[in-house]
Amino acid sequence: MFSYPDSKWAQRLNPVLFLLPALTIYAVFALYPTYSVIEYSFTDWDGIRPERNFVGLENYQRLFTDKIFWEAFRNTFIWSGVIIVINVGLGLVIAAMLARVWKARLLIQTCIVLPVVISPMAVATIWRWMYQPAGVINQVLENIGLGALATPWLGSPDAVLYALALAHSWSTIGLSVIIFLAGLQAVDEDLYEAARVDGANPFQAFRFVTLPALRPVTAVVFILTLTQSFKVFDIVWATTQGGPIRFSEILSTYMYKRGALENQYGYGSAIGVALLVIVSIATILYMQIQNREDR
Amino acid sequence: MKAIIGASALIAAFLALPISAHAQSEVVVWVAGEPGQTTVYDDLAAAFNAQNAATTVTVVKNSSDLFNPALIPALSAGEGPDLFSFGTGPGQPAALIAGGLVADLTDAYFEHGWGATIPAGIVAQTSSDGKLWAFGNEVETTGMFYNKAIFSDHGIEVPTSWAEMEVVVSKLQQAGFDTPIGLGAADKWPISHWQSMMFGRYAGPEGIESVLFGDGAWTDAPFVAASAKLQEMGKAGWFGPTPVAIGYGELMDRFWAGEVPMTFTGPWVIGGGTEATGDRIGEFGVFAVPPIEDEQKIHPTNSIGSGWYIRESSENKEAAIDFLNFMFTSTEGRVALLNAGTVPVGPLDTALAEAKMPVLAVDIWKASDDHAANGSVPAFLDTITPGSLTTVSYDGLQALLLDVMTAEEFAAEMQNAWVAAKEAGEIMLPGGIAER
Repeated sequence: MFSYPDSKWAQRLNPVLFLLPALTIYAVFALYPTYSVIEYSFTDWDGIRPERNFVGLENYQRLFTDKIFWEAFRNTFIWSGVIIVINVGLGLVIAAMLARVWKARLLIQTCIVLPVVISPMAVATIWRWMYQPAGVINQVLENIGLGALATPWLGSPDAVLYALALAHSWSTIGLSVIIFLAGLQAVDEDLYEAARVDGANPFQAFRFVTLPALRPVTAVVFILTLTQSFKVFDIVWATTQGGPIRFSEILSTYMYKRGALENQYGYGSAIGVALLVIVSIATILYMQIQNREDR
Repeated sequence: MKAIIGASALIAAFLALPISAHAQSEVVVWVAGEPGQTTVYDDLAAAFNAQNAATTVTVVKNSSDLFNPALIPALSAGEGPDLFSFGTGPGQPAALIAGGLVADLTDAYFEHGWGATIPAGIVAQTSSDGKLWAFGNEVETTGMFYNKAIFSDHGIEVPTSWAEMEVVVSKLQQAGFDTPIGLGAADKWPISHWQSMMFGRYAGPEGIESVLFGDGAWTDAPFVAASAKLQEMGKAGWFGPTPVAIGYGELMDRFWAGEVPMTFTGPWVIGGGTEATGDRIGEFGVFAVPPIEDEQKIHPTNSIGSGWYIRESSENKEAAIDFLNFMFTSTEGRVALLNAGTVPVGPLDTALAEAKMPVLAVDIWKASDDHAANGSVPAFLDTITPGSLTTVSYDGLQALLLDVMTAEEFAAEMQNAWVAAKEAGEIMLPGGIAER
């Protein structure tokens, strides 16, 4: 019969053994590629020739003087900002409302979550079609008397980034709603009862009970949304390829152009590392702010 | 005893299996193209496989956007296709050749007499340092596709001068067509067809060659004038109010549906158009865009669509060459290509006699052949120049149409990218191989 080892060493070793398969997979498919990208970023590799010459910080110096990188950097921040506002802000509101709805809740929930399972390329195709000048969006605007708002969404330098961010949010907000709903179910009903006894209206209950109780969940949704929005590629590439001109160029599409299309893998890798650093800094900053507020 | 004999037979059969499997060559072919545009290669592979028991050709297709990014890592890893189509000219394959990823086809050229099929001009675009790197397979062209029914309904004739072209556009605009000439510029690359044609019109074949292979510059006056004219046409609404907001696929849907009267494109759309319109395909025709300025000639846009390369590390080079020969030098292969609207390089007399080309394909080649004596220009500058220049051109062409960049600025950006590519060794010298 199997006897559980009780020595201290065995007890320390057990968790490691259990984690080893997952860690191995993580190391092979996540850590090693990340390490490779960092390594390539210090080379002039073109992705074709076998030789890679070490160029030190040359690719990183180039980032600072590359105006397209900074355009893409700015666009990525706007893009992520819009998506965070929608997915975290609106996602929370939708979840809070859904938590109070009993009739047809499952149906509404399904409708909101359904786009999450649609392939990003299909999402891109759907929205590309809807955003055509004679597409559904403009037709609806015309029909409801808001024709003045109709615009060539994918061809407008002013609108394209926001239009694509909205399309991306449509396909991802369902996940935020589900996480918030799960968090809401864990909030003690007694807290709402106490708030009502104290004379709080529904908005005040949301402000002083729901929001503080959901702080850890909000952090998870925020970080998930942030990382997802920074690494988005497919919907932008399949709709505009960063255009018109570069008005929807984000860091991931710019990295792809430089690395894969122009065979500048070294420089493309440097853009990738910059993206990694930016997301890491933003995540750490947010976590620290959260921790400080919690204390 | 019977049991021993039976067992021996089974063992012999088992041992024979891997031997026959090894004798079978599998040639994996990668083709770039959109769904429906490359089915002829499936047909050719099936016909070849039926005639060659020892070889199995498998065709893998990938969209143009994703083809190169998938191909290059595969080749770099020593894997990927045995045979594949890829860009040619001075700017595209230099890195593949320098990286030793593609096979030298010079011996095959002489052994199989490819010189009888591939014209010297195309050999020059697919060779360097006296070695042939690709089989320049097919000739592509572009022309103005138009809706005959719309023209007829509004009393419009096919234009033969730029003044007549302006009248055509004006009449169509007055008839309520807000997009007289569809462009599909949200996808960027369709604008480069106009760019290639107009650069050719203003600079002529010599002007283009002087940049590609000489000391010419994209900032030379003809290229600036061509870019300015394109911008002027955009401002005048020739391509509709929002050309950069409409994708190529959506544009072609509108064209075949009769909502857009004209679009400048190539024979690769004919298959999809025939599927979309059925019997109505006869309502469409093709004409050569008239000379834009008084002193200009019509220079047909002729390019090799791409070249076919064999992977250096392939173990099936000979079988790949056999398939190349079947596709592009056998009458059966050439007829199949012609029937699909694809024109293989080299003399067509024998194949044309047997082929039943789509009428629109005949029209577009007639429009091209009528002016062949003027000398042709590349149909797709974006497939023969380096990726860095293509990125700049695509963005710049959209900027011209949105009127946020001048023609001079566009030319300067192109030239900067071209010089940088030259300095990085991405531009090949003029090719050609010595006779043996």
